[in-house]
Amino acid sequence: MEKKKILVHGIGNEILTDDGIGPKLVKKLKGNLPGNEIDFETAFLGGLEVLDFIQGYQTVVFVDAIRTKDGIPGTVYQLSPKDFNKTLHLSSVHDVSFLTAVQLGKKLGLDMPQNIFIIAVEIVEDRIFNDNFTPQIAKKYEEIYTEVKAIAEKIIAGEASWR
Amino acid sequence: MKRYTIDPITRLEGHGKVEIFCTDDGDVEDVYFQVPELRGFEKFLEGRAVEEASQIVTKICGVCPGCHHMASGKAIDAVFGVKPTPTAIKLRELFYMAHFVHSHIAHFYALAAPDFVVGPTAPAAERNVLGVIAKVGVEIGTEVLKQRRIAQEIQALLGGHQTHVVMNTPGGVRKGLTEEERKDIEEKAKGFVEFAKFSLKIFNDVVLENKTYVDIILNGPYSLNLYSMGLVDENNKVNFYDGKVRVVDQEGNEHCKYAPEDYLDWVEERVEPYSYLKYPYLKQIGWKGFVEGKDSGVYHATPLARLNVADGMATPLAQEQYEHMFSTLGGKPVHATLAMHWARLVELLYSAERAVELAQDKEITSQDLQAELPNVPKEGVGIVEAQRGTLTHHYWTDEKGIITKANIIVGTTNNNAAISMSLKKAAQGLIKKGVTVDEGILNMVEMAFRAYDPCFSCATHSLPGNMPLEVIFRDMNGNITRQVKRK
Repeated sequence: MEKKKILVHGIGNEILTDDGIGPKLVKKLKGNLPGNEIDFETAFLGGLEVLDFIQGYQTVVFVDAIRTKDGIPGTVYQLSPKDFNKTLHLSSVHDVSFLTAVQLGKKLGLDMPQNIFIIAVEIVEDRIFNDNFTPQIAKKYEEIYTEVKAIAEKIIAGEASWR
Repeated sequence: MKRYTIDPITRLEGHGKVEIFCTDDGDVEDVYFQVPELRGFEKFLEGRAVEEASQIVTKICGVCPGCHHMASGKAIDAVFGVKPTPTAIKLRELFYMAHFVHSHIAHFYALAAPDFVVGPTAPAAERNVLGVIAKVGVEIGTEVLKQRRIAQEIQALLGGHQTHVVMNTPGGVRKGLTEEERKDIEEKAKGFVEFAKFSLKIFNDVVLENKTYVDIILNGPYSLNLYSMGLVDENNKVNFYDGKVRVVDQEGNEHCKYAPEDYLDWVEERVEPYSYLKYPYLKQIGWKGFVEGKDSGVYHATPLARLNVADGMATPLAQEQYEHMFSTLGGKPVHATLAMHWARLVELLYSAERAVELAQDKEITSQDLQAELPNVPKEGVGIVEAQRGTLTHHYWTDEKGIITKANIIVGTTNNNAAISMSLKKAAQGLIKKGVTVDEGILNMVEMAFRAYDPCFSCATHSLPGNMPLEVIFRDMNGNITRQVKRK
């Protein structure tokens, strides 16, 4: 069976202040990226849940939130799967970590993606239920979107070297 | 005094921290279990139309959205004073059985099995689901994912989406089941039954046939003498979706059996300054601290508690396993924390059998999906059993159905005190003078709470990072004397 092309996957909780930046960005990217072989998906968690989504794709691009020590809100990072542990959701599952899930998928002979890219956005607040971003993120949102879109376009064009 | 920190707890949703304080001799003095709680969900609901609540609450947590959807749906029914149609109730329960199958499979194979199949003190790099598959075979791993995925598909079919569930309406459900869909679910549910039987066989072969493991379960530092809580039907059989909440004491005598709307007469919540999570306890007994026994109002609401409070299971194969479990473990009630894993598998079998029953029910394909709403909305309570304990949603509204106040007691919160006590007991039994506190010992401490399948997503956010295990040893002045990190 021919592999589907690309999945752009946003992870996070949209009503948990900045936590939902991944899904919100992916919803905005839908229809705004070049090519028609791109699927878009959103979810709360990584791990086995993600395994269900990513099978059969050549390339998967995750958009997740991240909190680093002294990180500047709104900073966009380009990470590879070996850095998965740094983001907020790809390691966050009830069952196994994302990396374990990917290893599990390979071990069980599932049709796993050849390329996995992670785009992470430095956030401020992810423990208070609110459907609005913090002012710091809200202020930079368009800027963040533009940057994430540019990175995604590079990946789609096959010009991204990190993964 | 030395201080050990396990932060964050591995293989569990949410960011929790365990701090173990030891005397200079090396004995455990005290243990604190801390959870940074997400804040403001109940406030978030205020000012919103109550009929929207069951969809909003699925976003509290990505792990058990179906449980919140069901408890919320029932609370909304109560707000409107309406009973859903028989078909709507059956469809909801069918969805819920698939939710239990999915969750219990994930817990057993990904969280519990590594400790037993690979070994409680095996290297951390091997003690995971990959290690389990290396031991039991790739075919079984494939079957685990397959059955789990099928359960998700049934939830998506009935609920509109596997996580963003939109199934319930006040007094009903949005979508019915076609005959073709019913047949498909029936076949899949039969597959769940076989898989549940197989999982119990693995438990029997790997755990019960291993004298060391049985000894750890029965005689290790993993036992707590607490009250048990769970939902039962009119025959006092285990029920996850509906019924009354029954509480039994340490000898199995009924302490109370109450309807959802009366929960505030029986349960009260205590706040401790060092934890964001509340500590519910039995109001009529009172809070006496983190102590066991009849005079202490601490209870647990777990798979084992559900089996302890019930007079049996409502399906035949699960009933056989229920009897087998209690006869093997010395009669009812059982207070061995690690027996929760066994109880969970009995529940897996019950969920599977019940799914078959519901899928074979002639009424399940009726299109009578929605009851009329004759009443002005006011106040309502909905209770279901979440996989991790009794889940309560309570809403107050104005006459237009706008939520003015909400109260939610999530499954894991019920077990907050019990988890803290289990950790302390395990730590006191395992960490002693002359014992090297290595990663294996710390994992055995963690096993004490992993049995509860605690999920703090309702209350906490995801784990930050690669779920490392960090142990910090401090002297009496708080200075770090040794630090161990598990990558």
